[in-house]
Amino acid sequence: MASVSIASVNKSFGSHPVIKDVSVEIADGEFVILVGPSGCGKSTLLRIIAGLETINSGTLAIGDRRVNDVEPKDRDIAMVFQNYALYPHMTVAANMAFSLVQRGVAKAEVERHVHEAAAILEIEPLLSRYPKQLSGGQRQRVAMGRAIVRNPKVFLFDEPLSNLDAKLRVQMRGEIKALHHRLATTMIYVTHDQIEAMTMADRIVVLRDGKVEQIGSPLDLYDHPVNLFVAGFLGSNGMAFFRGNYRDGQFVSSDGLKLPFATRGDLEGRDVVCGVRPDDFILTDDGVDATVDVLEPTGSETQMLARWGSQKFTSLFRGRLTAPPGSSVRLGIAPGRAHVFDAESGLRLDGQPPCHA
Amino acid sequence: MAQDHPLPSISPDVRRSWWTPARRDHFIGYLFILPQITGLVVFVLVPLALMAWYSLNEWNVLAGTFSFVGLGNYEKLATDPALPGVLWASACFSVGLVLFNLSLALLLAVLLNQKLAGTVVFRTIFFSPVVVSLVAWAIVWRFLLQQDGGINAVLRMLSIDGPNWLRGPNTAMVSVIVVQVVKNVGLNMVLFLAALQNVPQELYEAARVDGASRWTQFFRITVPLISPTVLLTSIITVAGSLQVFAQIAVLTEGGPGTSTTVLVYYLYQQAFQFHFFGYGASLAMLLLLIVGALTYLQWSLRKAWVYDND
Repeated sequence: MASVSIASVNKSFGSHPVIKDVSVEIADGEFVILVGPSGCGKSTLLRIIAGLETINSGTLAIGDRRVNDVEPKDRDIAMVFQNYALYPHMTVAANMAFSLVQRGVAKAEVERHVHEAAAILEIEPLLSRYPKQLSGGQRQRVAMGRAIVRNPKVFLFDEPLSNLDAKLRVQMRGEIKALHHRLATTMIYVTHDQIEAMTMADRIVVLRDGKVEQIGSPLDLYDHPVNLFVAGFLGSNGMAFFRGNYRDGQFVSSDGLKLPFATRGDLEGRDVVCGVRPDDFILTDDGVDATVDVLEPTGSETQMLARWGSQKFTSLFRGRLTAPPGSSVRLGIAPGRAHVFDAESGLRLDGQPPCHA
Repeated sequence: MAQDHPLPSISPDVRRSWWTPARRDHFIGYLFILPQITGLVVFVLVPLALMAWYSLNEWNVLAGTFSFVGLGNYEKLATDPALPGVLWASACFSVGLVLFNLSLALLLAVLLNQKLAGTVVFRTIFFSPVVVSLVAWAIVWRFLLQQDGGINAVLRMLSIDGPNWLRGPNTAMVSVIVVQVVKNVGLNMVLFLAALQNVPQELYEAARVDGASRWTQFFRITVPLISPTVLLTSIITVAGSLQVFAQIAVLTEGGPGTSTTVLVYYLYQQAFQFHFFGYGASLAMLLLLIVGALTYLQWSLRKAWVYDND
């Protein structure tokens, strides 16, 4: 087990910078997920940690050791690839044994490790099969088995579930998390799926365009996104955003509608974007009339697509609602659950006074 | 089916027609393969049958005699004192050519599979001899390899006294092999290149993380995964090497002595210089047998070493 320290790392492909001054400290035994839209550099960052990409500047350390120029095999890491990268001409057992054989581990020892790992992943019956004879989920397990066998200090996962169907994905999500509890090894996991990030991670690193946007626990990021991007990226039903500004302490939407956001004397006259998670809308007589567009009942909850003026949003309520399209519903916002961002910079504007001169 | 549901039809023929859709599809199918079948029959099967027939006869074109001799030509084949030497020369040529061709092709393919500047240019250069006329290629090399030819001129500049390549008992065979390899290596190189590019890059990355050296990556991952292509190229190259003729005819005429008289060149001598057409035909049958046996051998041994992707 080991911590991983990424300090001011930069990486360019040719003249195109893909990782820009990224610093992340990952504690020993932590499960950290790198998440972001495609092209944000998350996979590149993972490959840098693995040693499959070199870095232009900065420091990468695993444990107490600076590994900038250390070969992948000497970094004591194991990696699970997106397409599994199983050796197609070798049996499952040979795939899992490959790294140990390369290290010259004795045959009996190799077999013991392979069987132990296979037992953990319940793939013992598959050991003599070839990868092409396995289903996607089984291949995924073998890929993890190959990693476990090495007993590495750090596990790296590169979008490991993206090739599985939705149901299997949910199941493997649980299994990887359980594996982390069992092995208690540092895991770094790349995904573009914010649900995977929210459900599995101890901490999430949100990347965009090669830069770290925010680092924190899933709920921390959910409750206190530092900017519009993070606010919009996390959460399964995207956050509802309203453009407007503060007049007389009250939020007025760009349509001129006074919306039920908390009063903020410190933002007078400032262009802002207010955000609300769908489940933070409440039905209240003190609210503001919203026009119902569509009602989508799912049984346990009801999703409502509605409009305040011209600004559409999604809201989510426990239980069932009846409101015909075109009717109006009085909506408010749960106290303390609104997010306010600067319209220009996109940065979160918390209670404290704005810090510009 | 038309038969099951007789309809009041305009033409009574339509009802009980044998011209069913299934028959029509069959007919059209055969129509599509007809050109290929025709070519196969006219240019392969009929000549093969004729060859087998000729091998049972004594046919002298000059004397105009053609007489059935049964297995006479094959008895001659079994006792021909020149034949062991011919087969030995063929074997030397084939083994040398196949080993040199395949290993050089693979080496070039691996080198030219790197992401380096100029690889496209070099691929073109190494492939271009493949499309050059075989005889023209051999004639140019005969000039280059003769006693006062281009190769020895270059060696002389390095103060080396080069041998008469095509007339030396030891150098003739090597020269013929090298000329032939340089001519054809590009074809195998291209096949290997295609195979190499089909090996997923991710496997090499996984192997790097697993601690495999470059050598291990090559022998444990690359070679097994391109083994189907190695099989294909070796079958093609072995069969092709046994059929070598024009290069021998132009470069050495089977000499010095009979050191480069390979089977097809011997066949040519017997049939077209000495006019023993029947004996030539039996030599051709021997060649067919050898090529068939070697191909069958390679094909049946494939399970032991070729990675099967299906």
